[in-house]
Amino acid sequence: MACATCLAVGLVFGLSGPEPVAAQAPAAAAPSGPRSSQKAYDAQAAASDPDAPGLLQPIPFSHALHAGEYKIDCMYCHTGTDQSRAAGVPSVELCMGCHAQFGGDMEGVQTLKKFWDEQKPIPWLQIHRVPEHVKFRHNRHVQAGVECQRCHGPVETMDKIHLTSDTIWWPWLLPSKKLEMGWCIDCHRQNQASQDCLTCHY
Amino acid sequence: MPEFHRRDFLKLVGASAGAAAASGCGDHVTKLIPYVVQPDEIVPGIANYYASTCQACPAACGLHVKTREGRPIKLEGNPDHPVNKGALCALGQASIGWTYHPDRYKAPRKRNPDGTYSDVSWDEAIALLSGEIKKAGGRTWLLGGETGPTAGRWIDAWVTAVGAGGRVVYEPFAPEALRDAVTAVFGAPGEPVFDLSGSDFVIDFGSDFLESGPSPTEHARQLAAARDVSKPGAHAARFVYVGPRLSMTASNADEWIAARPGSEALVALALVKVALGANAGPLAGLVGDVDLAAVAQQADVPVATLERVGKALGAAKAPVLIPPGVALASRRAASTARTVLLANVALGALGKTLRIAPPREGKRSSYRETLALVDAMKGGSVGVLIVHGSNPLYSLPPASGFADALAKVPFVVSLASIADETSERANLILPDHAPLESWGDAESRAGIRGVVQPTLRPLYDTRAAVDTLLDVARAMGPDVAAQLPEGSFRSLVEQSFAGTDWHATLQNGGVFQEAAPLAVAVAAPAVEVAEPALDGDGEFTLVAASGALFNDGRGANLPWLQETPDPVTKVMWQSFAEISPRAAEKLGGLEFGDVIGVATSAGSVELPVVVRSGVRDDVIAISIGQGHTVGHWASLADGGRPGEKRGVNVIELLPALTDEAGGRAWLLAKARVASAGRHERLPIAQFSQDQRGRRLGLAVTLAELAGGAPAAHGATEAALPAVAADAGHGESAGHGAEGGHGGEHGHLRDFDAAMDRVPGGAYRWGMSIDMDKCTGCSACVVACYIENNIGIVGEEEVRRGRHMAWLRIERWVGDGSLEGGEDRVPIIPDESGTTVDIRHTAMLCKHCGAAPCEPVCPVIATYHNDDGLNGMIYNRCIGTRYCANNCPYKVRKYNWYDLALTRWPEPMRLLANPDVTVRGQGVMEKCTFCVQRIATARQVAKDENRSIADGEVTTACAQSCPTSAITFGNLVDANSAVAKAGSDPVRGYHSLHELNTRPAVTYLAKVKRGSIEG
Repeated sequence: MACATCLAVGLVFGLSGPEPVAAQAPAAAAPSGPRSSQKAYDAQAAASDPDAPGLLQPIPFSHALHAGEYKIDCMYCHTGTDQSRAAGVPSVELCMGCHAQFGGDMEGVQTLKKFWDEQKPIPWLQIHRVPEHVKFRHNRHVQAGVECQRCHGPVETMDKIHLTSDTIWWPWLLPSKKLEMGWCIDCHRQNQASQDCLTCHY
Repeated sequence: MPEFHRRDFLKLVGASAGAAAASGCGDHVTKLIPYVVQPDEIVPGIANYYASTCQACPAACGLHVKTREGRPIKLEGNPDHPVNKGALCALGQASIGWTYHPDRYKAPRKRNPDGTYSDVSWDEAIALLSGEIKKAGGRTWLLGGETGPTAGRWIDAWVTAVGAGGRVVYEPFAPEALRDAVTAVFGAPGEPVFDLSGSDFVIDFGSDFLESGPSPTEHARQLAAARDVSKPGAHAARFVYVGPRLSMTASNADEWIAARPGSEALVALALVKVALGANAGPLAGLVGDVDLAAVAQQADVPVATLERVGKALGAAKAPVLIPPGVALASRRAASTARTVLLANVALGALGKTLRIAPPREGKRSSYRETLALVDAMKGGSVGVLIVHGSNPLYSLPPASGFADALAKVPFVVSLASIADETSERANLILPDHAPLESWGDAESRAGIRGVVQPTLRPLYDTRAAVDTLLDVARAMGPDVAAQLPEGSFRSLVEQSFAGTDWHATLQNGGVFQEAAPLAVAVAAPAVEVAEPALDGDGEFTLVAASGALFNDGRGANLPWLQETPDPVTKVMWQSFAEISPRAAEKLGGLEFGDVIGVATSAGSVELPVVVRSGVRDDVIAISIGQGHTVGHWASLADGGRPGEKRGVNVIELLPALTDEAGGRAWLLAKARVASAGRHERLPIAQFSQDQRGRRLGLAVTLAELAGGAPAAHGATEAALPAVAADAGHGESAGHGAEGGHGGEHGHLRDFDAAMDRVPGGAYRWGMSIDMDKCTGCSACVVACYIENNIGIVGEEEVRRGRHMAWLRIERWVGDGSLEGGEDRVPIIPDESGTTVDIRHTAMLCKHCGAAPCEPVCPVIATYHNDDGLNGMIYNRCIGTRYCANNCPYKVRKYNWYDLALTRWPEPMRLLANPDVTVRGQGVMEKCTFCVQRIATARQVAKDENRSIADGEVTTACAQSCPTSAITFGNLVDANSAVAKAGSDPVRGYHSLHELNTRPAVTYLAKVKRGSIEG
């Protein structure tokens, strides 16, 4: 099944996708602003641990630090999630809104600044992915009061983001893993949400 | 073929199996590319709409451009624009493809001495051109199509500033004869505006105003309004078509008078004579000389017909006569146009159904001037030729010698955005922006000024044509630059709207204050009505027909238009010649697809025939638009470079001649026709237009309409709320409450069979299609393709019957005959009579209450939902095709290939609608009632905690329809427009109702108004 949606996302910036920039940027730039906390350094180290579950992202961004430690609301960065089908991935500009001020001593932030200086988007790797033939609507779920963690797991505790395992066993002992249709349907059943195929597939 | 050993094969198999295992589906990694700076107005996943103006033809309809994440993905009509009022024709819909066309020039290019091209920088190109213009001076000429007022104004200023020789405006389909006639008849230049909506008697002298006329969308709406039988008390206008070929426009007429081509003026005079006798006003002198019998003989029309129609014309309160358009523009086109305009005056149309609007701003040239420029080029007196907005090498007849003339011009510059025949011969190509990337303006009529605003950033290194010219002028030195304004074309456009609120103008799509019509006095111009001369010899008169899709050939590189069946013959992707069965018999028993050679004084071509009785015996009709040598889809060449022709270009058969006023003539040549002794299998969507009594497209007579008896027996059975109460009547008895679904079985859900829905359900989506309004224009077909990411299969696959249209328009001639023809030979239905009975039936998924496709699906990929939709779940489908076999309407389409991904050249996929899954190979697909639009409307309604209101959601087909023939909505709501429209007790019927499919689509039978009574 081809993917009109990801074409849309992928092609916002023109025809050729941006070249990924190496995750380990040289730390030559002079640090600016106050020195970041040890917690931040630990989080960055954990997020760039190749052995930890999940994919190595272009920037070792720690959700545990931002959402857990600093308690930044999910929708501060992921704007539009309550309005649109798509969950907004924050623009580089939005990251720079804070990081122009601080964090400049950290490798990850320096990488971020490199993207910003080159005016290139950050090629994040998608972790939570439903196939293109699924028209998942974030706004509907946010408005129904479904917590982000219900599908995305305890993001505020994860340094390196990954898909948490959640397998439900159906009465006839068939497993249905997280983000698979049976798993979606199970929740829809429990909450008397629509189980019409056309709600998500068209 | 290289040697291929078994061992290699096994190695390959092993390797690919390993690769498959290593890259299992779970490891698929996609990237999430965010914005660097997210524009304020964009929320990913939510569409933005921008008002703009369509630039596909001079009608300049208003647009709403739907964009997602900064990409335009669909064009819709602007409901506030007075010309199109929300509708958009097939060409307009498809014109989005020009922006994403693979043949677009990506940067300026220069031709090297060895004939190859190399990219150059803009600075280099501008310097090159300005140098050439300095050299050529007054030997610099511009040749191009009509532009918007602002562009035209500054191009003319540029011509003066750089001291160029001049500019010739070349618009192949410009109504030149009519323009001349207005000046002659009313003494001042103006634009005739035929308003059909208030008319009760329309006579079209072959202008084909629903296809290629000056404003097809507007005229279609007006004609439908004039003939709307659903409005009590409204006059149902009569419509007569005079012309040699039963065109799409003619198929909507009540009566077809197959007059000999070129005799239109005579017929008009004869009709006026019968209608008004001696009181023929400005025509009195001419009418006095008219002898009905002689006219009848010259025009090959029975005297009785002239008398009958003439009498009815005399009795009409607000008649309107439309002069010939492209196809019948003969060498006496100007006189014919004058005669018909005068006839309008004599019949009192002026001020009622005909008004003379002030002329639009901008230069217009006659065809004679174009030919004079070609002569000047031949004579070597043109040093630099700048071609913009037109493709003269294709659309000028080779007889004009344009190809040689072009070769004699030392420096040819093209400002084309997309490669075409002319631009491929240029020395320098300075690519313009695509229509959706440009600023601009356009004037539909005086005072109706649309603004064109860009809806995406230019994809390539292109520049607006006017900016290019301004840059050239600036490069030529300060004295030249001083005569021209500073700033960019965008600022010039904004200046043109000075005095208006610019932001409001952009938001509304322009300023729409139509200028008051001119107060005109009737002069008495000279009119010569003798029969026009035809060039050459031969038994046939060649009619170059102008269809609804390709315009003057500019639409041929749009794949949707190629894959949309011709509204008359249903042939796709190819050229064909229409001849009558009698002519076919004379030529040795030609059948559908047999190849003939057609030769005129100007040239000869070979092409297959379509034998139909909707064309005069002495006429051969070939449509304009095909026969390109350059372009994806337009030609057989893949890369857009010169290659094999697709079909034939009928313009090659025409001499380069003008009418008496210098306008372009098209009805020019006699043709000799002979069988070429070959047969070709034409790609065709509908093999026979005889419905063999299957009652797919029904019609009622006026008497039946007045009588109120359901002529379409059993039409209004259970599915319609408004008639559900008396669902037991007539033949529909038995389709009532107990049909199909039982509510009493414990394991089944309750089902309200009378309503075809779950009890208490809020919606049952349904549609009503008024066949009396459907003109067959196919705008809906193209809209459906683009909205739903439907694949283009191409000519070969169409031959195999695999085209993917979810919505097709079937054309049926009368009730059809029950006697079958032989296998594989189409019955040629009789269209030749004077009474036209042609039914355009839009065929799409009926979302049946008892759908035959559903029970046969082994995997429940197709099912019924609570809203009455027949769902098609692509990811469930395993491709057994049982459903398609069981569908009596043949509206399910199977993906034999991965069409969209493998066959769409870059960057066409940018226009894919992200809300609709692109179907892969091996998957069945069909009309979804635009479920993505329903889903979007449902989100809005849910946010506001209400149900979806009537009119809040409509399908792409209904949205685009110029005549509003399609109504979509919720059948559960008895007050909804669709429920009301569909509950017409006389005309409403369900296609193949005898199968008890209980469709959600209700047709309203066409009204047979019958021949005109005197």
